[in-house]
Amino acid sequence: MIRTLFEFVDALPSSLAWRESLNGYVYLLTAHVVSMGLVAGVISYWDMRLAGMALKWIPVSKVQSGLFPWLFAGTAVNAGTGIMMVYSQPMRYYPNFWFWLKMGMLVVVAANAAYFHLSIEKTVEQWENDPVAPLKARLAGYVSLAFWAGVIVTGRMTAYSGLVPQWWIDLGLSN
Amino acid sequence: MLQPFFQWMGGLPFSQFFLESVWPTPIIQCIHLIAVSVFAGALLIVDLRLLGRGLTSSSIPKLAAAAQPWLVWSFVVLFLSGMPQMMSTALKEYYSPFFWWKMEMVALGLIVTFVVRKVIASKEEGHFGPVWPKVVGITSISLWTSVTIGARLIGLLS
Repeated sequence: MIRTLFEFVDALPSSLAWRESLNGYVYLLTAHVVSMGLVAGVISYWDMRLAGMALKWIPVSKVQSGLFPWLFAGTAVNAGTGIMMVYSQPMRYYPNFWFWLKMGMLVVVAANAAYFHLSIEKTVEQWENDPVAPLKARLAGYVSLAFWAGVIVTGRMTAYSGLVPQWWIDLGLSN
Repeated sequence: MLQPFFQWMGGLPFSQFFLESVWPTPIIQCIHLIAVSVFAGALLIVDLRLLGRGLTSSSIPKLAAAAQPWLVWSFVVLFLSGMPQMMSTALKEYYSPFFWWKMEMVALGLIVTFVVRKVIASKEEGHFGPVWPKVVGITSISLWTSVTIGARLIGLLS
């Protein structure tokens, strides 16, 4: 079903137009990397505050209100350019091991953020001035830091589609 | 003038090892990108603060002092992980206008960030008036964004 979707997008005239554009992919990838710097840079400080590694003197809610508008703006550009990159070359990404690993890591990052927002954050008023947050909040920070690093690594490795485990090649997704 | 130097660099056994081996280049590129993220974070929280945005509940000197070690050490990692990549494709870099653009922006960025901005960010808000901190903040962001764009275009258009 996923392959059918990717093949459908691949055949769309607008996908083809992006694919055959001389510099379209170059602009998308460059904007993706620049916005990655904004997203990863800002989220790392939010995570490090939760993990008790940085900005310990600033209340958690102040770190959130100060950094999140930039995080959301960066994420909009980063996700938008990322989606467009896949849209322009879907059948290049479909068989790519690192692309799917990156998507898996993004799911973990999103689930971790949702868990923090729906559970741990509800008690933030009780501990937001503490230099070191409660264990659950620290864990959420560590998990986010680790998996965002994973997103960056797998994102870079997407260019190395040949450096993958043999079992992935045996799946025959490229055929 | 520098062409023989780049040719010599590209011919070193270390450079050839990186060029011909499978895993070292992607591993070093991943380390480089992680360092880019750490550097960007340490840079942005101070630059945004100079612009009157971001973490406004903290004083500028305290924020700058806290970010400084992350900034310095991530730049050390950027330099150390950038060198093998540059050496292994030395002649490609030499003939790439984007490489020289990146290096010029890095030189300017280092001066602005580690000299000019360090002075501006060492004083409390208002000490240098309302304009200069903003000028320095936006200049710093612009220069390092140019570095990133130049770096990406070396690989894509050279």
